[in-house]
Amino acid sequence: MSSRTHEDAEASVREVRERLDRVTDPELDESIVELGYVDDVLVRGSSVDVTFTLPTAWCSPAFAWMMATDARDEVESLVTVETATITLREHMHEAEITEGVNAREPFESVFPDADGGVESIRASLDEKARVGRQFDAMNELLDAGLTGAQISKLTRRDLSLEDGGVVFVRDGNVGVTFDPEPLADYLEKAEATGLVDADTDHVFRTPEGDPIAPEQFDLVHKRSRLANVNMTGQGNICDALNEARFAEGRPPLSET
Amino acid sequence: MYQQDGEDIFVIDGHVHLWDAREENITHEGGEQFIQCFYDYHTGFTPEEREWDLDEYRHYGKDRMAEDLFGNAAADMAIFQPTYLTDFYDEGFNTIEQNAELAEEYPERFVLNGTFDPRDGEEGLRYLEEQKEKYDIEGVKVYTAEWRGESKGWRLDSDESFEFLEKCAELGIDKVHAHKGPTIRPLNRDAFDVADVDDAASSFPDIDFVVEHVGLPRLDDFCWIAAQEPNVYGGLAVAAPMAQNRPRKFGEIMGELLYWLGEDRIIFGSDYALWNPDWLVETVMNAELTDAQKDEYGIELTTDVMKKIMGENVAELYDIDIEAKKEQFRSDSVTEEFGLGDHYGTQDATAD
Repeated sequence: MSSRTHEDAEASVREVRERLDRVTDPELDESIVELGYVDDVLVRGSSVDVTFTLPTAWCSPAFAWMMATDARDEVESLVTVETATITLREHMHEAEITEGVNAREPFESVFPDADGGVESIRASLDEKARVGRQFDAMNELLDAGLTGAQISKLTRRDLSLEDGGVVFVRDGNVGVTFDPEPLADYLEKAEATGLVDADTDHVFRTPEGDPIAPEQFDLVHKRSRLANVNMTGQGNICDALNEARFAEGRPPLSET
Repeated sequence: MYQQDGEDIFVIDGHVHLWDAREENITHEGGEQFIQCFYDYHTGFTPEEREWDLDEYRHYGKDRMAEDLFGNAAADMAIFQPTYLTDFYDEGFNTIEQNAELAEEYPERFVLNGTFDPRDGEEGLRYLEEQKEKYDIEGVKVYTAEWRGESKGWRLDSDESFEFLEKCAELGIDKVHAHKGPTIRPLNRDAFDVADVDDAASSFPDIDFVVEHVGLPRLDDFCWIAAQEPNVYGGLAVAAPMAQNRPRKFGEIMGELLYWLGEDRIIFGSDYALWNPDWLVETVMNAELTDAQKDEYGIELTTDVMKKIMGENVAELYDIDIEAKKEQFRSDSVTEEFGLGDHYGTQDATAD
């Protein structure tokens, strides 16, 4: 939790939403702001209240928990915010999740029957998100003119994302420029999964996390596409369920 | 028969149910949550003017089902896939006995599948034998996220499951349809994880495994397993209605399936009554890939590919002779009841 720097400074709703934009639905790897989950943001001095709703009332409690805690932590990372209070609405476990997250209890004590802790679920979804993002990053480098074999061999030191992206190939003698955004998105997840850091020799990996042999590039590229299609596919299902749930004239459901 | 560009497409709906979710049949709140969740999926992917109301959705009965499947000749045949859920529903939600009511009225039009649950032990093995004896089943549908008392699911690759798969092989039951797909409240998402199909499929190479709902939200895990196990198929239930209101995404999913599994291992299913073949068949047949998707995947949904997906692939699995069926259907009781003589009476102009 951060301390306040100015007595009178107050976060703007826009600043809060920018922080919330960094929070993803872990199954879809898309921002909860983009997905339209955030209903309301209320700033009162150094306290911020965020209310959100998920596409279905039975969305996995572990996923809902991750989004709620991530939202709380992101908002509290603003220097002008002391406490963020998160409220989940219209969910089968809205009370347990809202109360548990705001009381800063661990997931396991609120949901003792859940299989596996929230951190292991997060790790496996992060891994899938990494592979999905890898597809866009590889495509950016292919479009910039690199070959699959060159991409397979890239080290973290070969890539510079500052001042537009530059990648050095042919033993560092040739610099090729590219749009840094898909690479930055990829590296963010690759770092979160612990596969890549500043000294990493292989930036890109198989879905299992191993370095890519040059002749394997095409297969890994296709598997990355598949992971990407899967995540966005599930997004389309959630989206349709969301529309169905809030359609006009819809009888109240899922409240038993 | 569905007709496209002057060609007849023989449609076998690979995934249908005759269920009963009337309030008097519900014994656990999970039963009410389950049917309401189904209804969310129904309305989420059904054109507004074709939506049912919740009461008709709870129980539609066999006559309506026959009308929906065959009334406008959308489907020529269908395969019943039971879903027991006896912890939630007094008489079960959709059992082989319930499905038999319609299947036995038109036996030439239906394949009736059974089920097993390894948690039922000896009694379960006897029930499997009984289903074989009574209905001569060739396939089973398994539901790994089903609740049984304290248990919230089971795995296809467990020792107990292997005992049942061995029994299947012994009885000549060589098709296993596993629901590996979207979470349905109140069932546990992880109990539908597709990973357990891998070991089961490689340990039982003579049994074909149809992964219903193509593993969504784990399409990636499913395709990777299927790419390595030749006896793993993909059932399109749930993916199919995306053609209606998420056509781009439907195209991508088809692109991936065709890339990883090829055109011989994809099987159409409406999941009736989740969705109704009386509009869904046409929607899927009219689906097109975008130019970008055709480039990316190097494929097209040609009439020949669609013929396989809509019927020929599953006919191969179940030894259904499509030409003999067309002949038979010129004068069977469904054709008489729904006036379909014209559909089967004329020769297929493009037949070789």
